[in-house]
Amino acid sequence: MRPERQHPNKLGFGERLSRSLEYLSFKTRIHNAIASYELVERVLSEQQKYVMYREMFPKEWKRSRASLYRRGYYGRYSERVNELFNLVNENCFPLLDFAYDDSESEFEQFAIPPLNVDLCCEDIYFDNLKLSYAAALIFYIPDDAWDFLNQRFKLSRSDFAEIHSDPHPNVWDRKNGSLFGELLRLVDHSTGNPWLDSNYCQTADWFSWDQETIVGLTAEYKAANEIYEKLNILDEMIEADPKKVLLALIDFWNKGEHPGLVLPASVVEKDV
Amino acid sequence: MNGESPLEILIGETDQVNPAILLAEEFMRRNAADLLSADDVCRAETVLNEGRMEIETIRRQIAAFERSLPSPSIYTPRGF
Repeated sequence: MRPERQHPNKLGFGERLSRSLEYLSFKTRIHNAIASYELVERVLSEQQKYVMYREMFPKEWKRSRASLYRRGYYGRYSERVNELFNLVNENCFPLLDFAYDDSESEFEQFAIPPLNVDLCCEDIYFDNLKLSYAAALIFYIPDDAWDFLNQRFKLSRSDFAEIHSDPHPNVWDRKNGSLFGELLRLVDHSTGNPWLDSNYCQTADWFSWDQETIVGLTAEYKAANEIYEKLNILDEMIEADPKKVLLALIDFWNKGEHPGLVLPASVVEKDV
Repeated sequence: MNGESPLEILIGETDQVNPAILLAEEFMRRNAADLLSADDVCRAETVLNEGRMEIETIRRQIAAFERSLPSPSIYTPRGF
């Protein structure tokens, strides 16, 4: 005998039971206008997320059996909405890291964890940084950065030109496509990318849960990781000839001239 | 006050239920997998707005009632 195939829109017994329990629980509170108001708000919020789920992850939505009624790990939301949170976390950006391992969390407004080093309050472990990032810190925390470079490459501050207190304006010009510019904007937390420009010291930016924001943050997260990947070239160059690269980097800071370390045109256009 | 007693004023008021209660009942009866249309969402937002105003009005009235000073009645209501 062939097993009866369940229609996607036809609720199974468990789901019908969950729906009934949800309804009965609601009936005990129905005469309370505030409780009803909150319920309508919750239904609207969940429906908005179901629409997002269906549009952003159509295959997963189709095969999902997560309940639309039972509360999930994040107890303010159904299991299905919880599933969406996990999908965003796995496929888009780290939504559930850090502060979000609290089952009482709300996601109507959410903050994102910074991907950059907090130069203000964080203990900086130079050995854990990308080499190019550590080198660029000579402009921001010179004593520690030169100590690191001295220890690693036997380079000292006196081997190089004096560093101007303020960088040349060209340093901030994105159009020149310089890898040094990319590096210095990253260290300066002025990339324009929320994943890279935020830190734990300042008040977090809050993002609202809507598709445009999620898609935008996903793209920015990808771009943030690409910036770190681009630095691999600089890291290799520093490993090969640290003095030469540092001379060029200081020259770029002081005079705004980049030594031909230009990104591919497609990357520059995307960044501008 | 037009010489009306509080009871007469209350009886004369429009009988209505907070629209959020009615919409909540409607939402709870529908299948969550049938996603709301744009019109449904728009209607729900209007209802939420009306419901919120009504809740705020009642909150203000309760606050005003709590602030009002008690005064002795000249007669004891029946039943007390």
